[in-house]
Amino acid sequence: MKVMIYKAGLAACFCCILALGWATPGLTAQKHYSSLVYDTGRLQPVDSELQVQVGDIAPDFELPAISGKAVRLSTFRGHKNVVISFVPAAWTPVCSDQWPGYGISRPLFDQYNATLLGISVDNVPTLHAWVQQMGNIWFEVLSDFWPHGEVASRYGVLRGDGTAERALIFIDHQGRISGLIVSDINVRPPLESIVKELEKLN
Amino acid sequence: MHKPIIFMLRAGVMLMLFVCFPGALMAESEPLPQLVLPVPADEHHRTYLGLQESGDGATFEVVEIDADILLIELFSMYCPYCQAEAPLVNELYELMQALSGSEPKVKIIGIGASNSDFEVDHFGKTYDVEFPLFSDQDMAIYNALAGAGTPGFVGARRDAAGGFSIVLRQSGGFYSAADFLKELIAAGAN
Repeated sequence: MKVMIYKAGLAACFCCILALGWATPGLTAQKHYSSLVYDTGRLQPVDSELQVQVGDIAPDFELPAISGKAVRLSTFRGHKNVVISFVPAAWTPVCSDQWPGYGISRPLFDQYNATLLGISVDNVPTLHAWVQQMGNIWFEVLSDFWPHGEVASRYGVLRGDGTAERALIFIDHQGRISGLIVSDINVRPPLESIVKELEKLN
Repeated sequence: MHKPIIFMLRAGVMLMLFVCFPGALMAESEPLPQLVLPVPADEHHRTYLGLQESGDGATFEVVEIDADILLIELFSMYCPYCQAEAPLVNELYELMQALSGSEPKVKIIGIGASNSDFEVDHFGKTYDVEFPLFSDQDMAIYNALAGAGTPGFVGARRDAAGGFSIVLRQSGGFYSAADFLKELIAAGAN
C-alpha cells in the first residue's frame, strides 16, 4: 500500500488570515479582510487507519452535493479519472485555503482528464456557506454528514472525533485506486504531489 | 526650569503615539531585514531587478535590487484573498513601470509564504504576473518580515547608508492601485 504522509513544520500550516491592525498609520488605501475560520490549534497528525489500498476498486458511494445533485462515484467509471479530496471540516485552518488553491488549478486536472470531488463531513448548508465564502470552487463539494462520515469511514479516513483526515484518493477511469495521500492534518499537501499522482493516471 | 516639563510633554506624545499607532515609531528607522533570494532564471526578471548574475543557483540580497522604493508582497497561492487581489497588484506593477524618470524608481517582488516553487509558478502563470515571485516554503522570509497574514505588503525606501528602511506595512489588500502607489511613494519620501 502506498501511502504518503506529508509532515512539515509550522510553515505548511500557514493559512491566509487577515488583517487586524498591521498597518502603517495613515494608510487610506487599505482593504481589510476578516477571517471566519475557527482556530483548532495543532491536532494529532493522523487518527485513522486506511481501509483501502492502491489497486483496489474504490468503494462506491452516492452523496448530496451543494449544487443540489446527488453524485455517485461509479458514474465516472469508463470515462473520467477522479480525485477525491477529503478535508477535516469546514471553517477550519488549512482546509479553508486548500480548496481555493484547487479552485485555480482546474487546468491541471483537465490535463489528465480528471475531475475533483471535495468531501467533508459537514452538512450541506454549512458547506454551502463555506464554499460561498471561499469562492471560485469549480468542483462538486459533497456532504458526508449522514450517516455521519460513512464514506470517510469506508475509506478509513474518519478520525476519532468525527472529522475526516486531510486525504487525497486518486481513482483511474476504471474505478481503481492509483494513489493515496494522507497528509498530516495540520499541513497542506503540496500541489506538485497531486500533479505527480495525476501523471500516473494517464 | 521648563526642560523637565518639555521632556514630560515629549515623552507623553511619544507614549500616545506608541499606544495609538504601534508602527509609527518603528517605521522611522526600521531596517529591512537582510533577505537572500535565488537569482531568477527569467532574464526579464533579472533585468527588472538590476541583477547581473546568472540564474544558475546563484543568490542575491534584496538590498541589491535596483530601486529607490521596494514593495514586497506577501501572498499565498492558496489564499483566496490573494487570488482576488492579483489583478490589482498587476495593475500596481504596471503603474510602477509607467512612472516617469523624474519620479522614484519603484519596484515590487512577491513572496509566496509557505508555497513551493511549483505553487508560486502556478500562481504567477494563472494571473499573468510579470514581476518576480519567490517561494518561501519554510516561511523564513515571511517571519523575518514579521508578516501578519496574506495578502500583505512591506514597503521600504533606499536609505542614506545604501540599505532599505521599512516605511510601510499593510495587511490586507487595497482598493485602488493608484492610491496605494501614491501612499507608498509618499511614505518613501518622508
